[in-house]
Amino acid sequence: MAKLKFFDCNCSVGRVPYPLIMDIPNVDGLRREMETAGIEEALVYHTVARDAGPHLGNKLLEEALAGQEGLYPCWVVLPHHTGEMPPPGKLLKIMEEKNVRAVRMYPTNNFHSFSMADWNVGELLCSLAEARVPLMLDIEIVWWETLQTILDKYPGLPVIATSVSYRHNRFSYPLFERYDNLHVETSRYFGAETVEEVVNRYGAHHILFGTSMPQYTGTSAISLISYAAISREDKEVIAGGTLRTLLKEALS
Amino acid sequence: MTDYFDRIHEGLPIDDVEIIDMHAHLGPYFNMHIPSMDADGMIIMMDQLGIDKTVLSATPGLCGDMVLGNNMTIDAIRSHRGRMYGACIVNGNYPELSLDELERCFTEEPDMVIVKTHPILAKCKMDDYRMQGICKWVADRKLMLLVHTWLDQDPYGSQDQLTRMAKDYPDISWIMGHSGGPYGTTHGIELAADLPNVMFDITMSMCPARQIEFLVDTVGADRVLFGTDNPFIDPKPQMGRIFLADISNEDRMKIVSWNARRYVDFG
Repeated sequence: MAKLKFFDCNCSVGRVPYPLIMDIPNVDGLRREMETAGIEEALVYHTVARDAGPHLGNKLLEEALAGQEGLYPCWVVLPHHTGEMPPPGKLLKIMEEKNVRAVRMYPTNNFHSFSMADWNVGELLCSLAEARVPLMLDIEIVWWETLQTILDKYPGLPVIATSVSYRHNRFSYPLFERYDNLHVETSRYFGAETVEEVVNRYGAHHILFGTSMPQYTGTSAISLISYAAISREDKEVIAGGTLRTLLKEALS
Repeated sequence: MTDYFDRIHEGLPIDDVEIIDMHAHLGPYFNMHIPSMDADGMIIMMDQLGIDKTVLSATPGLCGDMVLGNNMTIDAIRSHRGRMYGACIVNGNYPELSLDELERCFTEEPDMVIVKTHPILAKCKMDDYRMQGICKWVADRKLMLLVHTWLDQDPYGSQDQLTRMAKDYPDISWIMGHSGGPYGTTHGIELAADLPNVMFDITMSMCPARQIEFLVDTVGADRVLFGTDNPFIDPKPQMGRIFLADISNEDRMKIVSWNARRYVDFG
């Protein structure tokens, strides 16, 4: 049987202030982790965009990924009110020019200090939804109630929740039932037979292959999917099928 | 790329080597839904992956009643003799009952093979005076004691407390559960590098890049054990971690089987 082609939705480049074990700050290190695990493509953000400033980090990302086949940029964005980011319309135009088809946001006062309420991010979310640009949100930052509000208000906005863990099924199942635009990535999605249960109840498109490389290894998420007791077709959907579709539809 | 790359990617059981899971559980846990959590379901998952033997402690004994948990463990052992083995749960808040449980479980059930404690769930420090009698019992029998560790600053079961206890009880073979946690592995290794009676298990829900390679490079493969947390978490991710890790196949065998056999008589 041909090897599954893995497209990782959750990778980064850049040094982090609290490395788990290894300092793996650059594209070469990420490439080595991808090769060890057997991962062909990745959607990548820059840690500086999260940890220091989106503008600086997104620029560093552009430089880091220049000429890198199989690595695609994901920007970290802010609402435009302070002038740190262009207004949504202009932002999307720049993203289109630079082939950036997914974004991440880090709200709340512990991260980038803005609210996910409509008075703050409404215009931006509305534009992202219209352009069908996938939005990645760390569930440990936004938590489930905020996520539900976004999913409900913007049904055209594909939302990818990261850091969803084995402890979150009681939060995520009712949302899978209601919202087709909710996706979770697999870097910590390790509930025993949770992948199987979600695929069978709600559909494989809700799960996207993700690893959090190079802070985490990609090898664990690989075997979570390769050994899952689901059909080959469903594995292909998770391994990269849905992500490829989402990125193709974005900004088109 | 390791010799196991194709089989891991095809999802085939690794059945040409023995795999012993030294850190597993069983049953429900209060703050999460576990789709498959009984012993029969665990056996299906073990077969799917090629795991031969599992040493487990039933979760209700860690977050609730240790007697109930130990009874569940014994039932699982007896339902799946030769595949499932027990880690007898002790709790420092119940020093006398813990000693009774150790006597009962190790007398009644020959496949109860190691001891398990979870200080932060019990909210009893692992170096609490009430743990001393329990540790003496374990040391007298030269058994393994698996201790949950995760956070650097865990007030109940830190890597620092574990290594202090390992010095006080050199006859116990201590297992630093989860290798001290994703953020605590480096600290755990610093503390335990010169303590040959401290082992590290690779069980993880957040799997740091190159952690297994780091353990092998620093403390050596002789001190690393395979574990999954099955079914508290899915055992599948740990298969990719160990069988795709950039280590020699001999070191891999030590981790998945040989080291466990050095300490435990699996019959």
